[in-house]
Amino acid sequence: MSESTIRSTTRTPKIALIGNPNVGKSTIFNQLTGLNQKIGNYPGVTVDKKTGWMNYEGATYEILDLPGTYSLYPNSEDEIIAHRVLNHIDKEKRPDYVLMVIDSCQLSRGLFLATQLIDLGVQLAIILNMADLAAKKNLEIRSYEIYKSLGVPILSTDARAIKGLEQIKTLIHEKNFSVDSSYLDISEIIPQSLIQPIKEKFDLKNDYRAYQMLRFGPKDRSINPEDRLWIQSLIADQKFDLETAQLEETTLRYRKITSLVESCVVKKEAKKPASKLDKIFLHPVFGYAIFIGILLLIFQTIFTWASVPMDLIDGLFAEISGWVNSILPPGPLTSLISEGIVPGIGGVVIFIPQIALLFGFLAILEDTGYMSRVVFLMDRWMRPFGLHGKSIVPLVSGVACAIPGVMAARNIGNWKEKIITILVTPLMSCSARLPVYIILIGLVVPNENFGFINLQALTLLGLYLLGILGVLVTAFSLKLILKSEEKSFLMVELPTYRTPRWKDVLLTMYNKSRTFVTEAGKVILAISVVLWVLATYGPPSKMEEIRKAGEERLAQAPEDQHELIESEVSSQLLESSFIGIMGRGIEPVIKPLGYDWKIGIALITSFAAREVFVSTIATIYSIGADVEDELTIRQKLNQQINPVTGDKVFNKATAFSLMVFYVFAMQCMSTVAVVYRETKGWKWPLIQTVYMTVLAYVAALVTFNIFS
Amino acid sequence: MGYHPPKPMHITADTMTASRSAIIRQITASPLKINLMELGFLPGKTITLNHAAPMGGPMAFQMDETLLALRKSEAALIEVQLL
Repeated sequence: MSESTIRSTTRTPKIALIGNPNVGKSTIFNQLTGLNQKIGNYPGVTVDKKTGWMNYEGATYEILDLPGTYSLYPNSEDEIIAHRVLNHIDKEKRPDYVLMVIDSCQLSRGLFLATQLIDLGVQLAIILNMADLAAKKNLEIRSYEIYKSLGVPILSTDARAIKGLEQIKTLIHEKNFSVDSSYLDISEIIPQSLIQPIKEKFDLKNDYRAYQMLRFGPKDRSINPEDRLWIQSLIADQKFDLETAQLEETTLRYRKITSLVESCVVKKEAKKPASKLDKIFLHPVFGYAIFIGILLLIFQTIFTWASVPMDLIDGLFAEISGWVNSILPPGPLTSLISEGIVPGIGGVVIFIPQIALLFGFLAILEDTGYMSRVVFLMDRWMRPFGLHGKSIVPLVSGVACAIPGVMAARNIGNWKEKIITILVTPLMSCSARLPVYIILIGLVVPNENFGFINLQALTLLGLYLLGILGVLVTAFSLKLILKSEEKSFLMVELPTYRTPRWKDVLLTMYNKSRTFVTEAGKVILAISVVLWVLATYGPPSKMEEIRKAGEERLAQAPEDQHELIESEVSSQLLESSFIGIMGRGIEPVIKPLGYDWKIGIALITSFAAREVFVSTIATIYSIGADVEDELTIRQKLNQQINPVTGDKVFNKATAFSLMVFYVFAMQCMSTVAVVYRETKGWKWPLIQTVYMTVLAYVAALVTFNIFS
Repeated sequence: MGYHPPKPMHITADTMTASRSAIIRQITASPLKINLMELGFLPGKTITLNHAAPMGGPMAFQMDETLLALRKSEAALIEVQLL
């Protein structure tokens, strides 16, 4: 029965895994390939390309996990992939075999796609997954009836319980796939006068494939422009309406499937009441209360759990820097490694705990089926701001860190809603802003109670709310500015609640962290090195002068003053470096905000990451070796006097102006890097950096004038 | 075989009240029609409104074994007859 043929004995057979969303396709992929996976990119889109290798009885098979789709007609960036891979103009690049995963409880929806695949003439086998759920729902599926009707091999499995996995492997190994004659007679919909010329021109043997070419060829960039025009004129000549044809195909296909499903599914239970869990989770009041509760729990956990490995990473990279300094001879190269590259890598690695934990939690919420409930609850509140229900995930993640937030935005199908979400997510106050806020609040807000509310806590809350206000106002403005023809829609399935699969959760954590390190890491490392060069080098004669003077002072001073002199020298060196010169250069611009050139230096260096503000300020005001001691920094800063006015440098107006600046300013190269990766270009990260900086500047200016 | 009102009431699904069931009569022509059909919203199918988010938020319909969430504007494209 199997017509399978081996195209080439030397090539690894390629198997595409396809199915509707939420059918357990990824679990099967993970079970088949284990850790033997690679995540790459499809050209031109932000969809991850998941490839894995399965070894079985000495043979290797390449498995491609296609993004979930309901049909071969794509509605989103994700769904384009399945279409593109299966209809590739180059036959050699198409998969050799296709393994279709169907949720046993959603038979007709799965068969809709499966029969399209049959019509496409691919080597197909079908897996009826989640057999356990079907049994629980008292559904009896006569798979032999389906096999008789479709003519392709069918397997029943329960991937969560690893049931039937061995059979899948055997099926692949024995290449037990087959091509059936078409399921739907496409000539009922499309006249042969259209199909035949296409088949001849592109050397296609299959009617449905020719129809797909007719439908999507004109937009397919891998086809040369002349041929694309040729297809277009062919359609125009015959005045053929493709949209109507698609509706007609859908109706006919479903009609056929419905009668098939009726004959092969026995339903023992009549009506299913609404799930008890959903009565609580989707409740108009309790639903929201539970959601807020879960959020608080997640953040609490991220802040407590992530801080431990983050401190370890921080300490480890400081150790490595020190170790490099001790084993290599002093000089520019050593300095580049110990002060530029090592902290640069450290600056990438330090985000891993937060990214891994956040994506771990997101994977659990997704896997249990709760996430789509959140989308259901939040869509109404997001839409007035040009956002989608799905935007809630990136925005909420942004409170921990904008990077995983921006990465999570790719689930949003609509281009405009995705771009708006990416552009506003960094305005949520992330955890890196916290050290800056805390230092500045400590400087100017008295630790007193107003009624029963602590004033410092109130200020902190105010800054977070200001960030949220920024998100809403910006999103709303972008909604009016950005134009898109694409229609926004929700249409999500609320899957049955299930316990999470821990292996998949761990794999998600691992894969997301790895993607961040390899993709965004390059940009972060590069900017770190540039900032290091600017902060280390200055006009040589001037720098040399300061060093010499410092050495002379050290030679004369008693031992107990050495530390003080050293920190003063490093402060002077930073002042004279290129970054110091830049700090003076931007002073006229930032003066209206109440900042001097020293703060200007900190603004420039903290573009690497916001928390760098604290350490730079510490260096500039030569606070000494122990940067960790907030009290010392605070006392020192409090003593700084503006030489011109005689006032404190960090008075109320300046400190509040700085806080507001940090609420809105981009000040995070990792975010820039990740936006570059997610939007596939420099246009959006640049626009975002500029508008956030302008917003920060204006808001800080207003704040300064209110308080002074 | 339940009781049928003398005149079949054709309404759109967005006006359904909680836990009411209805049979889909047709899907109004719109760019979203194909998406609804691909999800299985087809004439003849029975849908039950299980949940609705507050303030005109999305609605969740039970259809066969699945719970599907639609925006109110999307549900308005589904013409139904109440059961």
